[in-house]
Amino acid sequence: MKKSMNRRDFMKKSAALVAAGSLPLSVVEMSFGKSNSENFTFAYISDSHITHVKGNDFVRNWDRGLIRAVAETNLMDPKPDFVFYGGDIAQLGKPEEIDHGLDILGGLNGKVHYVMGEHDYYLDLGDYWKKQLGPDYYSFDHKGVHFVVLNSILTHEKWMHKKWDKGMDRMLQMARLDNPDGQPFMVGDSQREWLQKDLAKVGKDTPVVVFSHSPIQKIHKGWNFWTDDAEQVQALLKPFDKVTVIYGHVHQIQYNQIGNISFHSAMATAWPWPYPSAYSQVETYLPKLTVEMNRADPFNERDATGWQFINMHTGNVDLNYVLPENKNRVVAFDASQGKPVDRDYQDADKRIPPQVHY
Amino acid sequence: MQTRLLFMILVLGLSSQAIIAAPLGLPPVPVPANNPQTPEKIALGDRLYHDERFSADGKVSCSTCHAREKGFTDNLRVSKGFNGLTGTRNAPTVINAAYYTSQFWDGREPDLEGQSKQPPINPVEGGLKSHDPIIEVIRGDKDYTSAFKQVFNVNANEINMDHVSMAIASFERTIVAGDSAFDKYMYGGDKSALNEAQQRGLAVYLGKGRCVSCHVIEETQALFTDNRFHNIGVGFKKIKGKESETAAQMLAAKRKGADVDKTVLTQENMSELGRFAVTENPTEVGAFKTPTIRNIAVTAPYMHDGSLETLEEVVDFYNNGGRLKESDPVSGFISGGIKPLNLTDQEKKDLVAFMNALTSPEYQALAKKF
Amino acid sequence: MKLYKVLSASLLTCTVLVLSMQSQAEQFTEADVKRWTDEYMVVMKQGDKLFHGGLKAKNTVSCDQCHPNATNIHPETYPKFQQQLGKVALLGEMINWCIMNPTESDPLALDSDEMVALQAYIHYERRGQPLQPGNH
Repeated sequence: MKKSMNRRDFMKKSAALVAAGSLPLSVVEMSFGKSNSENFTFAYISDSHITHVKGNDFVRNWDRGLIRAVAETNLMDPKPDFVFYGGDIAQLGKPEEIDHGLDILGGLNGKVHYVMGEHDYYLDLGDYWKKQLGPDYYSFDHKGVHFVVLNSILTHEKWMHKKWDKGMDRMLQMARLDNPDGQPFMVGDSQREWLQKDLAKVGKDTPVVVFSHSPIQKIHKGWNFWTDDAEQVQALLKPFDKVTVIYGHVHQIQYNQIGNISFHSAMATAWPWPYPSAYSQVETYLPKLTVEMNRADPFNERDATGWQFINMHTGNVDLNYVLPENKNRVVAFDASQGKPVDRDYQDADKRIPPQVHY
Repeated sequence: MQTRLLFMILVLGLSSQAIIAAPLGLPPVPVPANNPQTPEKIALGDRLYHDERFSADGKVSCSTCHAREKGFTDNLRVSKGFNGLTGTRNAPTVINAAYYTSQFWDGREPDLEGQSKQPPINPVEGGLKSHDPIIEVIRGDKDYTSAFKQVFNVNANEINMDHVSMAIASFERTIVAGDSAFDKYMYGGDKSALNEAQQRGLAVYLGKGRCVSCHVIEETQALFTDNRFHNIGVGFKKIKGKESETAAQMLAAKRKGADVDKTVLTQENMSELGRFAVTENPTEVGAFKTPTIRNIAVTAPYMHDGSLETLEEVVDFYNNGGRLKESDPVSGFISGGIKPLNLTDQEKKDLVAFMNALTSPEYQALAKKF
Repeated sequence: MKLYKVLSASLLTCTVLVLSMQSQAEQFTEADVKRWTDEYMVVMKQGDKLFHGGLKAKNTVSCDQCHPNATNIHPETYPKFQQQLGKVALLGEMINWCIMNPTESDPLALDSDEMVALQAYIHYERRGQPLQPGNH
């Protein structure tokens, strides 16, 4: 029988909860640093996987996940500069799904930028998505930071453009995560060319943030936690002082440092995925740095889902995970260590039971 | 003289309960190391709990809203305190409150000791401006001072609210009850203790009803709470569309030094923020603590705002996925555990029958009123 | 004396018969083993299909969406105390919980062909893992 904790510990815990979960203003003030770029915050929502059942019915679980993320994001005070949506609005890329997802995202206060996900793309090779949302790769500058958005879920041209009976056949191949016939994600030659030209205009000390659906790393090929030309993209980013890649797709907390590049994954609003190590039949890999998210209780449909907000106060990224049912987490770049570090759990002796995955 | 005698009999009666074995279906009551149970402390706590002098008009005690003869609640939608002023929240029962790991609907106090200090100084409950009048009354009462001396070994001028709250908590730790028909069936080996409807209701509870995940039943005990906070959609209509505003208001008030206890009980919109008012965590807007369902038949009305009057309404509320009517909107912040259940009419009836089997023997008489 | 001889002779005969029957029963062959394993793999593959959308859930959700390669099911930990069921439960009971809850469909009988096939697949994807009954 658990003993109720004494008042001092209780008040300490409550205060810590306030610091961890609260709206961004207090966090930013605490860790203000000197840099050329300004302090600002943006929100990041990803992987809603809106699924059409029939008629006007959509899978209620995924709908509620996106609705919840939008409602909580709208609580942010001060308002974030903008919101990024990390990909996979839809589950099977159907116009109904994209429309329904955009309907819900329409509830957000402020501008939203979109990243393409494979579930948005493979039904019609991105046709409907692009009609609604514009180009699938682009860049812009904001308060001294250079933002780049890539479509990193493309695959071999031959496979994408071969004769398919139905677009849905192609979509279903890419929708199944553990598809033994799955095709690897990639950015591709033409986009890498574009990226090289785009980055040529950017100063080496300008912070760069890249948004991509796939990880721009090679983590677990079996589930397409993978970008086939990762090294080539990383090479293009090498010359810059402060680079962060933020990706979706994996539906779990991951973070890594490769050379000068920090990598951060986003949580899905829809559902969590197991870590690759859970598959015992093959050798798997996960960046050593990553402290795993809490395991989900499937009773609570929002457990191990969430959204995130990102502080850019030093030009590197402070990623704040907003996690329903769980203590929120902060993974921030630590300049003295040169890599992202979880504020509460990075030390091996600070781990908690829900972080044990096997 | 008569009262004295009755009082002594009460004390003797209580002292035989001082070391209570765990009721059937419950684990032993958790008792903090710094506040062990003794018969004298319990008797003192009982007196303090019922003392109406500890309020601004001399008419409000703990018992006013948490009366033994009403299942340790008041059967009101929201409680009425000093001067008949109403608050915003329904009085939780003290029965088995000792098993919670936090107190109040929003968990703003960690324990019973902390909880009892707040109502006397809340403007719509005890109405006092500080605890000083309480200490004054106690110090001026010879029976109290000798009891405090005996229990805490303190002189009159050393008595403080910590002693008062510790004694009250000790008394409350004796208000535990299990041994309901359900307990006899589940843990007592008596398979005839539940009738067929109640047994079917238990099956719904454990299955399609999805109740067991938050209102916990386990192999060897049933706390009927997970001690966590969930937004199940109650009261959502009051701040619908104004969640951001209300949250911002609450934070601004806190930054200016506003007390959570006073704010949430006097401002209905702030009250609807629930756990968020305490933790400021955006994922806890509208989240309230899972209460126990033990003795639920005698502790109507239900929910943090007392808005559901009957168990039938409660079942409909859950069956519709967090709203009384299917046409009502669903809160954006609703817990991932709440979803439409598609229960049949029979299943709903059986679930209510089951909940009526959770009344402990000592409160059975009250159940007949409902 | 005669009775004794008859009894001991029949006892001896019986013993010989029994012993010879036993040695025949132990003689299953490699071909048998291969055939029986193939039988299993046929059902395992049926389970694979059911797992990957073959259950045709009412809301289109399939098991593999949350459990790619049947991960995070942990058949090696059953029976275990299953918090969502409030009791110590079998894998099949939890499979039914998932069928009813996230996929919003009707449960399978525990001894149905589908349930057997699903478990054959789930266990197969976890082959070689040590038993850890009760492990959370």
